[in-house]
Amino acid sequence: MTRRQALVIGSRLVQVVPVVILATVVIFGLLQLVPGDPAAVIAGEYATAERIAGIRHMLGLDRPLWEQYAVWLGHAVQGDLSTSLITGQPVLDEVLRRLPNTLLITVLALVLAVLVGVPLGILAATRVDGPVDRVVTTIASLGVAVPNFWLGMILVGFFALGLGWFPTTGAASLTQDPLRALSHAALPALALATGGIAEITRQLRSALIEVLSSQYVRTLHAKGLSQARILWQHGLKNVSLTLLTVIGLVFNRALGATVAIEAVFAIPGTGSLVVASATNKDFPVVQGVVFVLVLIVIGLNLMIDLLYALLDPRVNRR
Amino acid sequence: MSAPHRPSAARRFLSWLRSDLRAAVSLAYLLLLFSLSLLANVVAPHSPIAQSMDMLAPPDAAHWLGTDDLGRDVLSRLIHGAPMTLYASILAVGVGSLIGLPVGIMAGYLGGWVDGLTGRVIDALLSFPSIVLAIAVTGALGIGLTNSMIAVGIVFSPGLARLIRVQTIVVKNDLYVDAARTFGMSPLRIVWRHILPNAIQPFIVQVTLLLAAALLAEASLSFLGLGVQPPQPSWGQMLARSYGYMEISPEQMYAPGLAILFTALAFNALGESLRAVLDPTRRRSD
Amino acid sequence: MLKAVDGVSLEVQPGETFGIIGESGSGKTTLGRALVCLEKPSAGQVLHRGSDPYALSGGELRRHRRDYQVVFQDPNAALDPRMTILRSVREPLDVAGTLPHAARDEAAMRAMERVGLSPEFASRYPHELSGGQKQRVCIARVLTLRPSVIVCDEAVAALDVSIQADILNLLADLQREFGLTYVFITHNLGVVAHISDRVAVMYLGRLVEMGETEALLARPLHPYTDALLSAEPVALPSHMRGTQRVVLSGELPSPVSPPSGCRFRTRCRFAQDLCAAQVPDWREVEPGHWAACHFAGTLPTVSVPHGMAGAPS
Repeated sequence: MTRRQALVIGSRLVQVVPVVILATVVIFGLLQLVPGDPAAVIAGEYATAERIAGIRHMLGLDRPLWEQYAVWLGHAVQGDLSTSLITGQPVLDEVLRRLPNTLLITVLALVLAVLVGVPLGILAATRVDGPVDRVVTTIASLGVAVPNFWLGMILVGFFALGLGWFPTTGAASLTQDPLRALSHAALPALALATGGIAEITRQLRSALIEVLSSQYVRTLHAKGLSQARILWQHGLKNVSLTLLTVIGLVFNRALGATVAIEAVFAIPGTGSLVVASATNKDFPVVQGVVFVLVLIVIGLNLMIDLLYALLDPRVNRR
Repeated sequence: MSAPHRPSAARRFLSWLRSDLRAAVSLAYLLLLFSLSLLANVVAPHSPIAQSMDMLAPPDAAHWLGTDDLGRDVLSRLIHGAPMTLYASILAVGVGSLIGLPVGIMAGYLGGWVDGLTGRVIDALLSFPSIVLAIAVTGALGIGLTNSMIAVGIVFSPGLARLIRVQTIVVKNDLYVDAARTFGMSPLRIVWRHILPNAIQPFIVQVTLLLAAALLAEASLSFLGLGVQPPQPSWGQMLARSYGYMEISPEQMYAPGLAILFTALAFNALGESLRAVLDPTRRRSD
Repeated sequence: MLKAVDGVSLEVQPGETFGIIGESGSGKTTLGRALVCLEKPSAGQVLHRGSDPYALSGGELRRHRRDYQVVFQDPNAALDPRMTILRSVREPLDVAGTLPHAARDEAAMRAMERVGLSPEFASRYPHELSGGQKQRVCIARVLTLRPSVIVCDEAVAALDVSIQADILNLLADLQREFGLTYVFITHNLGVVAHISDRVAVMYLGRLVEMGETEALLARPLHPYTDALLSAEPVALPSHMRGTQRVVLSGELPSPVSPPSGCRFRTRCRFAQDLCAAQVPDWREVEPGHWAACHFAGTLPTVSVPHGMAGAPS
């Protein structure tokens, strides 16, 4: 690794810190959004004044704001994300228990999106404005507009209930029973992937068209290089960086969209956890889940950013 | 030395519609939806919340789309869901613009540390998976349609702020802004008269596209029980209910799902058409 | 650290046309913008009628600066593409707000007429006009304020040669009619010679020579001025033209780290050790004729044949 590369990596790492801190401020601030007295809201309608005071004290709401934040943050970095108001269990444990299920379908969806989206994008870009292109573009437009949980429901209807190829609900541990885990994750991942496929297809097609119609590539054509060779050597290399960025975006979206998918397929993942805890006003859990998910997103984007910086000579010179 | 006179705005609008089929169809569909929303009480054959003993009935003369698990007419519920949907989308996008537009313009025009800080906050907010953040905010504010759409609007605002900020920076450095400064124009007036009109176009395109995203967000949140509360009908909620009875009467799923799909398609199509017409220098690859 | 303008001291007299000449990178545009308060000087002062405009409060400054206007090089960029011509011309009056609405329209139409634009242009948009017409619009716009000083920053550089003369004549007419003071910034010696009363020559952010136009053209004191003149002999009457050309060697040094001593020494054919060691003083070599060169006045000029100096034009 050259010194320059080390500097670039270092500067990216440093730039991430304020973003993380601001994110924690936002997560902490969620509690402040509660209209009225959070303790009373949590305690519920029939709570006694004592119970409300007890909750207030337990959550540290009687302390000054900055102190609350500092305490919360201090605990968080040590891995203590407080305990659920409903179950009394540590939040982090619950989150970590459910995270693999969510990550499985998210990653699977991402892989699917790339495997399908990239060829589709290439296909459309190399046959611009032709019938194939029109079909692909229309499919992509549909993919962006369709509610993916509805698609999940339809998939369940056909493939699970109808044909019986896949289980309808639940999840299984990947480490213990991989085949069963995958069969549980297949349909959810498919439903989740539609948005990603559409996005990757569109962006790749657009970026590839731009590259292929550039002056540089046209001269290569004139020199007699075959279409396939041009595509592989110059076209794809140039758009690979765009692809990286889109993948980051798709992952971010997918991680959010699992929420509805988990509801359809009754998957015990982080999505269903956050919905349940939001409905029940179990704020520590809400904050804990969001915290973990944000860290994952920031982490992934950082990796992509680093890859980008190391691979793209132009970005290095920023 | 005669140059053609610019046709009126109405003329230009009509000729645009004539040339762009996609835009015309989308606009027609959305206008239809809007009218249905206004006239829901008149058009719907039954009350959306009137229960009957005729549960999960297949489509017939009295109930064109059948009934749901509480004997309510699906078609009427679908029609009454339209105003909810439109209200939700517009609210979310409105909140997003209300927050994002001033913040973005301020960051772009003032530059310096204001811009730096705003950029960091935007980066931080964009690290949150959007629906998750919307759910978290909804949980804090209290579940319900208005609160959840305000949450979605808050989630939209950083993206919009970033967009208008870039445009503001571009326009701010244009020479006619300098000229306005020499006339003694105050910064606020410059923003209003020069920066906003010239920077707003991509913003408008994005807002139209976000209407689709807001619609899908509302559907998801209502599906999860965090949005529209029963007995108010909402397309997302209808989907949730129908899922439970999928084996018995699967056709319940299709009507609300298709309604969501078509409306989202219409918003998207309109946005893409707007993008094409507002920026004629754009390459046809989009 | 980049100092676009570093050490410029000049005074513009009311009613005159003051030319500033320099190549790109000389800092002349920055200077022009500073004169109309578009750039705030980081050191030194811009004084309007002897007082510092930045000493005024925000609102006062905005009122004050209407008196000091600028016509930019690119008339296309200087007009808001979404505003009709009438709106653009009327804009300064709208900002001033002293006249009622109808009177503003009238004043704008009169200004347009005065610069040679027929009324039918009022409802057109900038993209429908030619470059020369757009520049007339910009001049009309500035005229509505009846400013005391107009800075013309390369105001004709982007126009066709045939149009340039028209615009220059228009500017000259307006000056006579309204008693305007011009600061004319350009790289074109021909233009400057044509219309300026006095000229200042800039190089790399510094003034190198200043004086009355005739004197400067007849007896350039600084080698840089000499080189400029020799490159454009058509600027001078025939009997004043020299026969040789000075070709400046090398490139313009980077303004971020200018040469020590005299900044021009790296391209000057007369450079001595003294030039690197000491920054030349800005001194009045002849009455009303200033230069910053250790050897000003003693060097043989190329643009004006030796011995012709002082000959009547």
